[in-house]
Amino acid sequence: MVMLLHVKGTTSLQASQVSGTPAKAVLENKMKELTSNSTTSISQARKAVEQLKMEAYMDRMKVSKAAADLLAYCDAHIGEDPLIIPVPASENPFREKKLFCTIL
Amino acid sequence: MCDQTFLAIVFGPCDKCSNEKPLRAVYIKSEQLSYCSLCVEMMATEGLHENETLASLKNEAESLKGKLEEERAKLHDVELHQVAERVEALGQFVMKTRRTLKGHGNKVLCMDWCKDKRRIVSSSQDGKVIVWDSFTTNKEHAVTMPCTWVMACAYAPSGCAIACGGLDNKCSVYPLTFDKNENMAAKKKSVAMHTNYLSACSFTNSDMQILTASGDGTCALWDVESGQLLQSFHGHGADVLCLDLAPSETGNTFVSGGCDKKAMVWDMRSGQCIQSFETHDSDINSVRYYPSGDAFASGSDDATCRLYDLRADREVAIYSKESIIFGASSVDFSLSGRLLFAGYNDYTINVWDVLKGSRVSILFGHENRVSTLRVSPDGTAFCSGSWDHTLRIWA
Repeated sequence: MVMLLHVKGTTSLQASQVSGTPAKAVLENKMKELTSNSTTSISQARKAVEQLKMEAYMDRMKVSKAAADLLAYCDAHIGEDPLIIPVPASENPFREKKLFCTIL
Repeated sequence: MCDQTFLAIVFGPCDKCSNEKPLRAVYIKSEQLSYCSLCVEMMATEGLHENETLASLKNEAESLKGKLEEERAKLHDVELHQVAERVEALGQFVMKTRRTLKGHGNKVLCMDWCKDKRRIVSSSQDGKVIVWDSFTTNKEHAVTMPCTWVMACAYAPSGCAIACGGLDNKCSVYPLTFDKNENMAAKKKSVAMHTNYLSACSFTNSDMQILTASGDGTCALWDVESGQLLQSFHGHGADVLCLDLAPSETGNTFVSGGCDKKAMVWDMRSGQCIQSFETHDSDINSVRYYPSGDAFASGSDDATCRLYDLRADREVAIYSKESIIFGASSVDFSLSGRLLFAGYNDYTINVWDVLKGSRVSILFGHENRVSTLRVSPDGTAFCSGSWDHTLRIWA
């Protein structure tokens, strides 16, 4: 009974509602698990489950809408893109033929 | 559009310890609660609850993965290139090398542009970090790092400092000074400390914070002035090779790619992974956000580049050809996001039409593998660095 007190509130209630032997078996398993140094893997597994739950319940939008937004952004900005609509050579510092020399 | 985060970070009293902290949603017995990150850690390390075994947790994880795939597949109603059929095809491109920056004694590993659209910082295998003026090809500053393989370098937004790091496991910040008498190496400040090589670094919106990615599998956010660790990001199962910050002014997310074939999107404030994508077949060498911030592209050793949409939460395009068998080391978008430039290990740069998924152009010039590629901040040119010791500016 002393060992049961260390378990969280809800589980101890459930354990006491069940008959003696299964509760003891569950406790024995728990002790085995704890002593076999698997607390890190338990915490990792729990974290992985939490992470997956969060990702699964995320709000998503349809690909058609997302793709339409990407297209819209492209259309809106394509006019300003100097690599697609080349600006005159005089305005593009890399294309101009100016030589950077000074006459001494 | 770009400051849309998919996880609204709530700040308030934790359901368990009642402290005022940033909260995370946690599901316990199908009930959603809000715990602070400390309580989440404590809950994760508690002993097994009844009906819970390691095996059952693993099964739950598997079934959740299946559910995740299902949810993603439900919204997959059309392909990006199908939607893009009505868009005009791009004309022929004439892009040539306009400048060649020579001066590195060994393989160029990384480069970054300054916000003034003119200066470039590049780092190489021999430990040298050089700041160039790309218009004149003059070298303005040069610093020799105490380590070799300087795999990461970044320019501060103000243009007054550079950050670099590599096999020394650290990220160091050097303030740039034009005073001839000052030795740049003397003013060096070590900011980040990792337990393995530094693979990527980037300043956030200000000079005060740096985000780093390392071979130890973690990313970290540091305060430059004090060198203090502000937030660390754990989740990758192997070396993290690249990272990119979301483009918005208010954006608080970044994406990282690693040797575990996963690309993960993180929230900088809470340290939590918001989304992850695992469709590549090999290491992800480079990730870059689409200019709107709603998508990102990745280049990988599996010879493909892929586009992932963050709101649809899935891969929406693959850029590959049977004739391309070498890995892509570096990717970047043009200003409008219509073009994707990717540098490959077969010495070429392929230019892809992002929307249609087809290759627009292939650029030759480098004599060894292209290791790094960045488009200038105003989009007028892009610079590529290669193992042939040179950097080339294309326009």
